[in-house]
Amino acid sequence: MPGSRAYLWFIGPAIILMVLILLLPIGIAGALSFTDYSLGNTSANFVGTENYERIFTRTTYEKMFGATFRYVFVVVPLTVLLGLGAALLIHSLTRFGDLYKTIYFLPVMAALIAMAIVWEFAFHPTIGIINATLERGCGTWLETWDWYAAGCARTFPLWLTDRDYAIWTVAFIGVWQGFGFNMVLYLAGLTSIPRSLYDAADMDGAQSGWERFRLVTWPMLGPTTVFVVTISFIRSFQVFDTVEAFYPQGGGPSKSVYVMMFAIYEKAIQQNLMGIGAAITVVFLGFVMFLTILQRWLVERRTHYV
Amino acid sequence: MSDVGARSSVLSDSLALRFSTREAMKHAVLILGAVVVLLPLYEMVSYSHKAPVEIMQQTGGFLGSQEPFRDDFCIKLGNAVEDCMVNPIVYNYTTAFEKAPLLRYLMNGVIVTVSIFLIQVVVALPCAYALAKLKFWGREAVFGLVLFCLLIPVHAIALPLYIMLAKLGLTNSYAALIIPWTISVFGIFLMRQFFMTVPDDLIDAARMDGMSEYSIVWNVMLPTAIPALMAFGIFSVVAHWNDYFWPRIVITGNRDLFTPPLGLREFKGDADGDNFGPMMATACIIVTPLIVAFLLAQRRFIEGITLSGMK
Repeated sequence: MPGSRAYLWFIGPAIILMVLILLLPIGIAGALSFTDYSLGNTSANFVGTENYERIFTRTTYEKMFGATFRYVFVVVPLTVLLGLGAALLIHSLTRFGDLYKTIYFLPVMAALIAMAIVWEFAFHPTIGIINATLERGCGTWLETWDWYAAGCARTFPLWLTDRDYAIWTVAFIGVWQGFGFNMVLYLAGLTSIPRSLYDAADMDGAQSGWERFRLVTWPMLGPTTVFVVTISFIRSFQVFDTVEAFYPQGGGPSKSVYVMMFAIYEKAIQQNLMGIGAAITVVFLGFVMFLTILQRWLVERRTHYV
Repeated sequence: MSDVGARSSVLSDSLALRFSTREAMKHAVLILGAVVVLLPLYEMVSYSHKAPVEIMQQTGGFLGSQEPFRDDFCIKLGNAVEDCMVNPIVYNYTTAFEKAPLLRYLMNGVIVTVSIFLIQVVVALPCAYALAKLKFWGREAVFGLVLFCLLIPVHAIALPLYIMLAKLGLTNSYAALIIPWTISVFGIFLMRQFFMTVPDDLIDAARMDGMSEYSIVWNVMLPTAIPALMAFGIFSVVAHWNDYFWPRIVITGNRDLFTPPLGLREFKGDADGDNFGPMMATACIIVTPLIVAFLLAQRRFIEGITLSGMK
């Protein structure tokens, strides 16, 4: 075969880069997570599993897991459901569907850091548009809702600086940014469902929209759903931009928005505590890789009967 | 897939004029959603047109009254009041460029995103070709390595990468912004899947003509891969133009290397009330290129961004 050694030049650079940039760092993170290394020190002490013990016992890290899981378990279901809902509605429209699709996809394109700054202003307690709009509803029927009446009587929430609301507000922005992405994935899934399946379901007596959804659409969207859920998990686990923009120091009111990526950044980059940062990295990688493997397993299992 | 779309659009045209409450309800829900989605984008554009007073008091409608206001900073410099009356939109956008080297940031953004994409292609394309079309010992193992590396999000290993770059003395350089992204396992995977569909005859014919393997990659395979490469390019450029996390870590303090998101963040750091208009103008300038490109080539963009869905 001519140029039989050519393949070495083709795969060589890619393999070297994969090892140096993707695999070696995992090894380094693993090794450093058992030390108290700081950048600038010539050596580091072996500290055993102390870093991991800290992560799983100290309240700071308890807050970190709390914030991360609160965020993830709000953002993932909502982005998936809203993405599916929007896709179903748009798919069933006779006109203007593309217009909505374009609009809902805009947040995916816009730099999140820019949007975070705008949202911060919108959620400003006194001059932001959110509370200004809410105040306009005072004195109307909306006041029958206790929460609303309380807001009118005193003040509406401080949102991003309010300990009870901060994480949910940040999660809202995550949902706002992410559901359009899931929507286009679901739209692609919906267009690939053969019409004949609906006709068949029709003949079997599935008349209502719900029956058609339950018997045809939902099962056929199975692989899409597995993928959408996984990618939503991975994306929301990595939330950082909004948190850093709102709370450059410390992770929000009483650390209620202290998510994992921010914790890695704070410990390792701001405070130069590489050991603990590496340990969080390892735990983080564990989560993400577990989810991806779970997804692949689900997809492979499904392909047998779909 | 496309003929189903065509059929349903013909169908929709014939039904379009029939009014139904069901359809109206759907539009009502979708319009409500659209309002929430557009709210911050609307605010961003609106504020970039307004004077500070209008922003603070929520007046002036969408584009502001555009009445000249007094630039206090200009008065502090000792100029006469009448020389310091500025038009809000002019003030906001000129300040955006003058207060910080925004042009430089934009240029850095272009340099970094373009370099990343080009290097990714140079590394990934030959590897994908070898994996798809060449037979060699260990091919399955290399492909297995690619599949394994797909599991690793680069942001998650930012800390060890940062340490490695710091040890090499490379933080605060273009290299630091680019190096971690030079290998795109996703690009390799995608191109390999694409090359699998290219008929072997094409390659055999090229070999018969005496082409070397190198020129086959760049003169035969590359042209056939243009559509897939464009989708991948959009995916790559959008991700790196908007990326904030990685530049935040490796660029500390050296403003000459700031990418647009870092520049905007810096602006926010020292923004007071008066600077809100210019800050929003900066945000608009940073967000606009991708949004405009997206509006012009929506189909390609959605394809590119959702590429990862093809796995």
